[in-house]
Amino acid sequence: MWFDILPSFWEGTKITIELTLFSAVIAFFLAFAAGFGRLSKFRAVRLLAATYVEIFRGTSLFVQLFWIYFALPLFGIMLPKMVAGVLALSLNAGAYGSEIVRSTIISVPKGQTEAAIALNMTPWQRTRLVILPQALVMMLPAFGNLIIELLKGTALVSLITLSDLTFVATVLNSSIMRPTEIFSVLLIIYFVISLPFTKGIQWIEHRLSAGRY
Amino acid sequence: MSVPLKLIYNEDPTKNIDCEVRKNIVRPIVTYNNISKSYGDLQVLKNIDLEIAPGEKVALIGPSGSGKTTLARLLMTLEEPTSGTIEVEGEMLWHQRVNDKLIKANEKHLHQVRGNIGMVFQHFNLFPHMTILRNVMEAPRNVLGLSKEEAKERAVKMLEQVGLSSKIDAYPAQLSGGQKQRVAIARALVMRPKVMLFDEPTSALDPELVGEVLEVIKAIASEGEMAMLLITHEMDFAKDVADRILFFDQGRIIEQGPPKKIFNNPESERLQTFLSRFNRH
Repeated sequence: MWFDILPSFWEGTKITIELTLFSAVIAFFLAFAAGFGRLSKFRAVRLLAATYVEIFRGTSLFVQLFWIYFALPLFGIMLPKMVAGVLALSLNAGAYGSEIVRSTIISVPKGQTEAAIALNMTPWQRTRLVILPQALVMMLPAFGNLIIELLKGTALVSLITLSDLTFVATVLNSSIMRPTEIFSVLLIIYFVISLPFTKGIQWIEHRLSAGRY
Repeated sequence: MSVPLKLIYNEDPTKNIDCEVRKNIVRPIVTYNNISKSYGDLQVLKNIDLEIAPGEKVALIGPSGSGKTTLARLLMTLEEPTSGTIEVEGEMLWHQRVNDKLIKANEKHLHQVRGNIGMVFQHFNLFPHMTILRNVMEAPRNVLGLSKEEAKERAVKMLEQVGLSSKIDAYPAQLSGGQKQRVAIARALVMRPKVMLFDEPTSALDPELVGEVLEVIKAIASEGEMAMLLITHEMDFAKDVADRILFFDQGRIIEQGPPKKIFNNPESERLQTFLSRFNRH
């Protein structure tokens, strides 16, 4: 039995990893754009960022996914399953990520900005040399959580029949009816995929936290 | 250049010197014109007029909350005045003249004028993610545009001057408070400002660490070229270093003059009360 099943699991695993990686990269950029947007001195930018964040935090990923895949076509926008999946996942994670970015940036002590001003750094130099390096260290644990959340969220795309891990598992189960084995394997695979993300973040955190106590 | 001004203070300490006469002697490096600052209903500075000559060491004393720190923060562009103007070397700091109208200065203008000013903070505000060397060389490198080698050379020299060349590769968290403040002084000095602001540089230090920081500041002061605005509660230090003492209370300069006069013959009752609290210790 396993000889037949494992290749399909492998295909599903690849899709899940791809979804996670693509979405994580896009979410990362969205998080910074929206996080900085909410701190902008321009009201319009703040408003735009806040609207995005509140909409995507305030509705469920499940509904967002269905809306993008099933409702957008009514407006003439038909997206491939993979694109719809990545879009929903990254928009959702980006919204949560932007709060991480915003909150860590404002938690860097004010004295740091003042010292940077006293050294006559430009606003961009203050951000790049002084604020961001300190904020990044604080962001990492939260970003680590977010990526794991994202990985687990990918299971939802099976509902738009994208053949990720969960989709493969449900299809297999309905044909061979061995839920205990199949879902145990599923559990293990998700856990194994999450490990490098967790470890990777820990490693970066360690590298970046030089000089701290 | 500042010598004539100091002489005048020493010869005739009690008399207020006519502004026009002073201007003829030497152009002030910093001028506060009728500066006020309010936070909501609370007015922390009330119509301050003040001139600082190039190289002049001015100590600000007075009770906490009297507006001393705000006066320095306005000059460092950390706070904006509510009204009045500040000039640095004759150039408006917070304002720009456009078609004969004064408008609020933009970041570019602030950047240009601010380069003359440096500041040392009560709580050091070192960058915790950088080594000591990087703390000191980052601004010369990025703001002054020096090459990496030049910036490093300048930074190392500066750190030698404050006695910390052995700590170059350490991080701020590994230093004592006194050492941190000396790094902060080096970091500000390396930019070669024409005016240095010291905002209670020893107030956050353990008593036994105060001396080493004051020594460093004294050494810098004795070199002379840089004007200094020292906010301090260390009266002996102010007496030693300053050419002129300003006594602040409730947002106003109550009394000013050379140290001898301020400490030996205070005129106003408020200054007398203030000083008597220190003498008792």
